[in-house]
Amino acid sequence: MLPAIEVKTLSKTYRKRNRPPVKAVDGVSLSVQPGQIFAFLGPNGAGKTTTIKMMCGLITPDIGEVRLNGYDTARCRHQAMRQIGVVLEGTRNVYWRLTAWQNLMWFGRIKGFSGRRLKERAEQFLRELDLWDRRNDLVNEFSRGMQQKVSIACALIADPPIVLLDEPTLGLDVQSSRTVKQWVAKLAREQGKTVVLTTHQLDMAQQLCDRVAIMSKGRLVANQPVNELLSLFSREFYQVTLRGRLNGSRPAWLAGYTVVEDADREETVVSAAIPDQDALQDLLSRVRELDLPLISAARVEPDLEEVFVKLIEGERLDAGAGRRAIDG
Amino acid sequence: MGDLSVTTAPGAPASPAAVAGPVTAYEPAKTLLTALLAETWKGILIMWSYKFNLLTSMISLTFVFLGINFFMGQGQLDTATMQSTLLGYLVWFYAITAIETMSWNLRDEMQCGQLEQLYMSPAPAQMLILGRSLSVFVVTTVQVVIISIVMLALFGISLPLTPAALPVFALTMAGLFGFGYALGGATLVFKQTGPLSNILTNALLFLSGAILAVSLLPPALEFGARLLPSTQGIDVLRRVVLQGESLADVWADGSLIWLIIHSVVFFAAGWLVYKWCEGIAKRKGSLGQY
Repeated sequence: MLPAIEVKTLSKTYRKRNRPPVKAVDGVSLSVQPGQIFAFLGPNGAGKTTTIKMMCGLITPDIGEVRLNGYDTARCRHQAMRQIGVVLEGTRNVYWRLTAWQNLMWFGRIKGFSGRRLKERAEQFLRELDLWDRRNDLVNEFSRGMQQKVSIACALIADPPIVLLDEPTLGLDVQSSRTVKQWVAKLAREQGKTVVLTTHQLDMAQQLCDRVAIMSKGRLVANQPVNELLSLFSREFYQVTLRGRLNGSRPAWLAGYTVVEDADREETVVSAAIPDQDALQDLLSRVRELDLPLISAARVEPDLEEVFVKLIEGERLDAGAGRRAIDG
Repeated sequence: MGDLSVTTAPGAPASPAAVAGPVTAYEPAKTLLTALLAETWKGILIMWSYKFNLLTSMISLTFVFLGINFFMGQGQLDTATMQSTLLGYLVWFYAITAIETMSWNLRDEMQCGQLEQLYMSPAPAQMLILGRSLSVFVVTTVQVVIISIVMLALFGISLPLTPAALPVFALTMAGLFGFGYALGGATLVFKQTGPLSNILTNALLFLSGAILAVSLLPPALEFGARLLPSTQGIDVLRRVVLQGESLADVWADGSLIWLIIHSVVFFAAGWLVYKWCEGIAKRKGSLGQY
C-alpha cells in the first residue's frame, strides 16, 4: 500500500553570516502508513518543527523529498497541499479578527472546497466543539482552548486525509487537552486519517500513537512502533525499593541511577537500566551499603518517557564516538 | 487491443487510484477562483473590522489634500487647480494602499502565523496575494467615493466619469500592484520594510505628478520620476478625464503604449521579485518568522 507520507533523506542546514552552520535536519527518512498516528518526539531544537515544515512545503530542503499520498511536495505542490491539514505551533493559526464561522469558510475555500458541503462540515465541527452558539463571535474573544479547537477544525474543514499537528496541546488546560486527544484518536480510528504530531507530552504519545520517531540533533535516533520501542528496554529496566530515606547522605555511586525519595511513604526508589545479571548483583550489593531495609527489587516496564531519556542521553554519549541509529 | 500505457505527471503517484486523497476531484481553475475570492472577501472583512482606522485615514487624507492645495495656492484654495490635483492625489491614495497594505498585511501575518497557512493552499501564493490586492482595491474605492462626495459637497469639485478612463486606470493599478508585490517580497526576506515603504510612498506623492507636474522637475529628477509606476498613469488619466482626449488620441502619440509597457514591466517584475524573495525565505526557513 502506498504510504500516506514518505520522506526520503531529508536534510536542512541553516547558514548565517559570521556564524557556524546549523544542521537542523540530517538525512531523515521515514514513512507513515495511512490511518496511523505518528509522533515526532525530541528535545527543543531537535529538528521536529523543521521536518514538519519541510513536509508542508514551507521550508525548502537542501536535499531529499517528501511525498504526501504519493504527490511530491516540490513537483506536484498543488495536489500535495490538498492532502494535508496543518496546525502549526503557536497561538494564532487562525484570524483573530474573523469569526469562527468566517475562519472555517476561508480555510475551506483556500483549499478549493466550497458550496453546501463546506457549510455543512463547518456546522458539524462547530456543533461538535460546542461553539455553534458562538460561531459569529470574533476568535479574539475566545479562550486559548477554544482557539485551538477552531484551529484544528480549520485544518480539517477541507477533509484532508493527512493531518499534521505541531504541539497541539501546548498551553491548553487539562480539559481542552483531553478534548484534543480524543479528537486525534477519533480522526485516525474512526475516520481513517493519518495523523502526525509533535509533542513534549510523552504520555500522550504513548496513549495515542501507533509509531514514534525520536529526533535528536536533527537525526532520527528511533523510529518504531510504540510497543516495540518500549520492549527494547523492558528486559533491562529495574527498580529497587527501600524502606526509609537517604536524608541527604547520597553516595557518589548513586549518580548513575534515578533516585526518588517518597516522604509520605518513607521509601526510596532506585531505578535504572541494568544491562545484565552481574550489574544487577552489583547494584544489590551496593544497595546493602545504604543500610536501608530492602522492600523489593523488580524488573519494570519502562514508559515512553524513560525510553526517550535513555535514547537522548545515549545519543549524547555517542556523539563523540560516532552515532547510533535504531531504525525500524 | 493495443497496450494501454498510463502516464503520470512528474511528482504524482504512479497509481492515483490507490491514493486515499480528498473526496472531491481536483479542479485547478475552480480551486484558483475559489481561493482568490476567499482571500478578497477575507481582506474586506478584516479591513471592515478596523472601521475606525478606515474613517480616520479618510479624514487625514482629506486634510492633507486641503493642506497641500492651501500651500500650493499660497494661502488660497484655488478650485480651478484642485480638480487636477484631486485626480493625482486619489491615484496616489490607491498607490499607497496597494503598496503599504501589501507589506503591512504580510508582516502582520508572519507575526501571527497565518502566512504559513496561506502557503498551504493548493493555489499559488501570488494568486492569493492578488486576491488580497483586489480587496484593498475594493475598500480603497469605497473610501475614494466618499472623499470625492465630500469634495463635491464642500468645494464643488468633481471628476467626470469617463469610460475611457477605466482601462487607463486599470493599467495604472496593475503597475502599482507590481510595485506592491516587489515590496511584499522584500518584506518576506527583510521583515521590516516600513522605512522603505515610506520612501516609496513619499516619492510617489512628490515625484509622480500627483500634485506637481513632472515637467517642472529638474531634468535628471524628471527622468527618474517618469520611471515611477504611477507617473505615466496620472499623466494619461488627466488627459482622458480632464481634457477629454480619447483613447485613440493618447494611443496615437505613444502615451498609452508607454503606459502599457510600463505597467506590464512593473507587474511582471514585481511578480518575479516576489517569487524570488519567497524562494529565499523558504530556503532560509524564515517564511513564517518575524
